[in-house]
Amino acid sequence: MPCARRGPLRTPRVLRTTSFRLAALYLLLFTASAVLLGAVVFWVTQATLTEQLKTRVETAHRHLVEDFGSASLQSLVTHAVDYGRGAGALDYLVQSPDGKRLAGQLPMVGDQRGWLRLTAEDQDGRKPVLALATALPNGVVVAIGDDLRRIRRAEEAVLRAFAWGITATILLGIGGGAWLSHVFLHRVDTISRTAEAIIGGDLAQRVPLRGTGDDLDRLAETLNRMLDRIETLVDTVRQVTSNIAHDLRTPLSRLGQVLEDASVPSRSETDHARALDRAKTEVEALLATFAALLRIAEVEAGMQRAAFRQVDLTSVVKTVAEAFAPSAEDAGYTLVAETAPGIAIDGDRELLTQMLVNLVENVLRHTPPGTRIRLRVGTIDGRAVLVVEDNGPGVPEAERDRVLRRFYRLDQSRSTPGSGLGLSLVAAVADLHGAALRLSDAQPGLRISVSFADTGRSAG
Amino acid sequence: MKILVVEDDKETAAYVARGLREQGHVVDHAANGRDGLFLAGDGGYDVLVVDRMLPGIDGLGLVRMLRESSVRTPVLVLTALGGVGDRVKGLDAGADDYLAKPFAFAELLARLNALARRPPLVDVQTVLRVGDLEMDLLKRSTTRAGREIDLQPREFQLLEYLMRHAERVVTRTMLLEAVWDFHFDPKTNIVETHISRLRAKLAQPGVPELIHTVRGAGYALRAPGSVANA
Repeated sequence: MPCARRGPLRTPRVLRTTSFRLAALYLLLFTASAVLLGAVVFWVTQATLTEQLKTRVETAHRHLVEDFGSASLQSLVTHAVDYGRGAGALDYLVQSPDGKRLAGQLPMVGDQRGWLRLTAEDQDGRKPVLALATALPNGVVVAIGDDLRRIRRAEEAVLRAFAWGITATILLGIGGGAWLSHVFLHRVDTISRTAEAIIGGDLAQRVPLRGTGDDLDRLAETLNRMLDRIETLVDTVRQVTSNIAHDLRTPLSRLGQVLEDASVPSRSETDHARALDRAKTEVEALLATFAALLRIAEVEAGMQRAAFRQVDLTSVVKTVAEAFAPSAEDAGYTLVAETAPGIAIDGDRELLTQMLVNLVENVLRHTPPGTRIRLRVGTIDGRAVLVVEDNGPGVPEAERDRVLRRFYRLDQSRSTPGSGLGLSLVAAVADLHGAALRLSDAQPGLRISVSFADTGRSAG
Repeated sequence: MKILVVEDDKETAAYVARGLREQGHVVDHAANGRDGLFLAGDGGYDVLVVDRMLPGIDGLGLVRMLRESSVRTPVLVLTALGGVGDRVKGLDAGADDYLAKPFAFAELLARLNALARRPPLVDVQTVLRVGDLEMDLLKRSTTRAGREIDLQPREFQLLEYLMRHAERVVTRTMLLEAVWDFHFDPKTNIVETHISRLRAKLAQPGVPELIHTVRGAGYALRAPGSVANA
């Protein structure tokens, strides 16, 4: 599906992302609150300015009426005219008791008193005016008003400011959301691409990290760790499969050859007997390999832990040493056991015995005659430890982990006998017992130590 | 011997029956647990060969029921499952021996012979004798023709097992299990080596060999002059 990433689907895909939806939601909330704020500011501004206007009109009105209302009508008219002069001046009206205009530009108010909304004319044209009209004791009506356009202009300024602000917010929100989504999408795409590549068979692919340690980086790290594990497992399976193929095909084809050879009509009875013997040997080797594989699988399944009993490791080591010493000697090896008395752990005696036997046979098979094999059992820091050590050629450090793998053999040509399963079983048994298996340099030779988690308490 | 084979796999049953008949034994065959239980219940057999997995009543159930109804006939259980826990379960159920498939016929035969002639447990023999070889189990001493033979504890055990099964074939696997308690097959020839050391200790100038190698099967301890019977 990588083709869907380009072309007309690109924009909708950005809009569909979680981060874009989140950004859009925030944008909506933010716009709504900006509009609300704008409304409040607009309302407060309007109220305040109207209040100021009224105060100004009231003050002027009071001055005019108090100072000149008691004086002659003429002086009232003169002062009122003064009020109407100059920039920002108030508008006025003096109306005679019989309803005639005495002075001023405000429209006639008739019988109306109090706060009035009037429309006056001036050089700029018609303008709305808020005016206060009162009647003096002598019946003369005085009205003073102020231009409402000043308030309108302030209101417009507030509205404009908020309109611009909200527009900018929306633009930034959409842009930021799209950008965030793009960045997010890009990283998700990277992860998808890695996954696609792995599905395609390239198991070495890993999700690149940005190094910021953010949530996506943490996710990527976890994914990478999972991929490491999967790669190891797949490698093992691959290797085991090809090794099974190799290790089983070789004896099977040898078997086929033996049988084919024996079926030639000119073969004598002795030839047949010999062929049957050889065929039997091959089949037995095959069965032994299968048995070993099944055994490892059984041990790895951990089904035997329930059958754990106290096992005297010391006696296991003694038995194995005693059983193998004569054969080892005959083959030119030296086998010695150094045992601390009564080291006991919880475990499976039979499996532990087989583990030790495999370790001993591993040395016998892979070192030249004359090698000295030391079996030791004791406690280190209260933990029971089993050590098998030789002074043979040893195992290169780089190979030490690999020799524990199923079917792995240092001798890649596989010309020496053996299934390559011996140490795998050792590893499986150690694992079942929760023991740590370590290969190290015995200088010279190989030292394999198995340290059990169990305290090596006395077997009593 | 009269032997009952309870085995549902026709091939295996025929293979075992044919082999046993060739050895001169009388063989009956039951293809499922119920028939097996019915036939074995009579107690007329010297030994039973029972497959672990059977239709109807399974092998271990069969053995348990036989033991509950006081049938003491020795039982050898055959199984495709060779696991340790599995074998322990089999022996717990009352089986006398356990053999994992695939097996060599010689191995089965040797084990059946050992089972059928196993001396009753109440028999407390303290001295074993085969020809001029004598073993005192209490004093832990061994003599051949009156001459003391110095044996390691494990060699003593090995010889004791051979003497208890004198005139019969014992396989490598039987020895590994009985003497070393090894229930797996080591690649190393430890049995051969120990047998050859034991032979060397038993050997005296002019006296015949006691431990014979039976090709393709194992070993047999025979008194000189006795008729060899597998």
